[in-house]
Amino acid sequence: MEHNVLASILADCSEGACGGMWFYLIVTILKLVLVFAVILAFVVLSVWIERRVAGWIQDRPGPNRAGIPLHLFQRFGSKEKQPCKKLLHFFGIPETCWIAKLFRWLRLDREIPTFGLMQPCLDGAKLFLKQELTPSYVRKVYFTLAPMLVLGPPLVAAAVIPFASGFSTPFGDVNMCVANLGIGPLWIFAISGLSVYGLTLAGWSSNSKYPFLGGLRATAQLISYEVAMGLSIIPLLMMFGTLNLQNIVQYQADNGWTLLPLWGEGLTWERWFMMLPMLISFVVFVTCVFAEANRTPFDMAECETDLVGGYHSEYSSMKFASFFMGEYAAMVIGSALVVTLFLGGWSIGFGADAALHAWCDWFAVICQFAMFLIKLVAFIFFFVWVRWTLPRFRWDQVMKLGWLVFLEVTVANIFLTAAIIYFIN
Amino acid sequence: MEAAISSILFCLFAAIAVLSAFGVVASRNPVNSAMCMAVSFASTAAVLFCMGAQFLGIVQIIVYAGAILVLFLFVVMMLDVKSEERNLSSLPRAIVGVIIAGIFAGMVTKVALLLPGAADSKCPIKALCCCDYDATSCPAVPEGELSGAELPALAENQNDVKSLGATLFSQYNIPFVILSFALLAGTVGAVALGRKIRKD
Repeated sequence: MEHNVLASILADCSEGACGGMWFYLIVTILKLVLVFAVILAFVVLSVWIERRVAGWIQDRPGPNRAGIPLHLFQRFGSKEKQPCKKLLHFFGIPETCWIAKLFRWLRLDREIPTFGLMQPCLDGAKLFLKQELTPSYVRKVYFTLAPMLVLGPPLVAAAVIPFASGFSTPFGDVNMCVANLGIGPLWIFAISGLSVYGLTLAGWSSNSKYPFLGGLRATAQLISYEVAMGLSIIPLLMMFGTLNLQNIVQYQADNGWTLLPLWGEGLTWERWFMMLPMLISFVVFVTCVFAEANRTPFDMAECETDLVGGYHSEYSSMKFASFFMGEYAAMVIGSALVVTLFLGGWSIGFGADAALHAWCDWFAVICQFAMFLIKLVAFIFFFVWVRWTLPRFRWDQVMKLGWLVFLEVTVANIFLTAAIIYFIN
Repeated sequence: MEAAISSILFCLFAAIAVLSAFGVVASRNPVNSAMCMAVSFASTAAVLFCMGAQFLGIVQIIVYAGAILVLFLFVVMMLDVKSEERNLSSLPRAIVGVIIAGIFAGMVTKVALLLPGAADSKCPIKALCCCDYDATSCPAVPEGELSGAELPALAENQNDVKSLGATLFSQYNIPFVILSFALLAGTVGAVALGRKIRKD
């Protein structure tokens, strides 16, 4: 077999140098970088959204500072003491005018405003520079491995999420999805399911009471909700008849989003009857995504009132930050999956996709990418909204909801969908 | 190139799987054993991916690495690891182990030799499991066709799930139903055993 391998490598190196192979490789690497950048940028952005929305809900400003102070420029040689005031003078605007008041409200007289967007970056820098403390009683190998196992899987799972439709170039077609696998949602379940190892090992290797309890809770919760999560999307797959996420989104672009069937085939009675199982699926799936991302109301594993900090009590500095980022990355991936399956993914809707494609491929792809990001931000906002609205469940309530309510509801939902498909088609 | 890359990856992941399976037996700490087993499962899934059996690979990760092994780890961690560190196995135990392992190895070898294209060493790995290349056409496929320009086939390879489902629910329907009943009985049994018995 080695001979076979070598021969085929040599054959490719000679013949494939100018073929579609290199184009495919380069495009794939570019898409990888793009997805990675988007996910990491969204981790930062969702921390910001979390803080600002929390502030808004609790009727306080939230982190709105962290601007770039103007006296910094003075130190680097700028002689302008108050550039904002001088600018106003230059245009002859009096200080009592509404423009001047707006400028002052935006703190433009003191700094270049970032509306608090710099805050997560500065937090990251702080965590980088903090002293890293590894307690002497931990099991070192697993203690170091655990944060990696939490942060890694969500970043890998993003590979199958389509973030725009495809377009064609002279060298070949480009599909805007890193790995266009035939098993889309299963890939995400499998890979993000692996992050349970991180939580378990973090709890165990800390070798102390509360982290251990937190790790056990996290494991039990993630495994319980994985079952309901997997079962809840089966009605969707029965309707779409495919597991490929790109095809699922294409179908929604042509025939109406799963929860908004207003065009194409979506106007038929059958699709409106299907709304009932789809809504049940949506509610169950979204709740499971909350539980899988370990967010309030399901943050049993790191519940401060009973467990100090849960599985990451013993962690400090960048290792703690990995857990933190892992939680937000899981939230971003969960939101992306909900958007892809239920809210039309990248599709703009109302038949606009096909029209845009007919006009200009490139423009359509950019619009769809922007649409996907808008939907993602909206759903992340929803995540945060729920977190700051609902109180935390009790542990036995979480288990009861997972095993006694969701499991039964999802199984019944599968039969309901099958009946609708059988009798109405 | 695709065939070449998947052959290289196949060798790599197969080696990792075998080595970590050895680690399961060799390591004394039960948690190390469990983690080695997880690596072994994951690399077996990767091997299945290289062969184009995406669905089987992902199910391997979901079921074994994602659920069953986590429960193993869960139980192992609840025990006191220090006292559970195993002493060296005795001779009779080793003999029994060798016999059981030998039977399984024999079964797997037999099945592998029965696969279409197994006797032909030139046949690509993919042909052993994919129905795209059937046994009769395998030797006839020229080398060049397999090594290059296979990308669209890879991207559109989604019949994997459909063909598996069709086979399972038509040809093997009765064994499937019987197995499901066995699993259901197991679940009910576990619930019955785990229930608290009330005295009143």
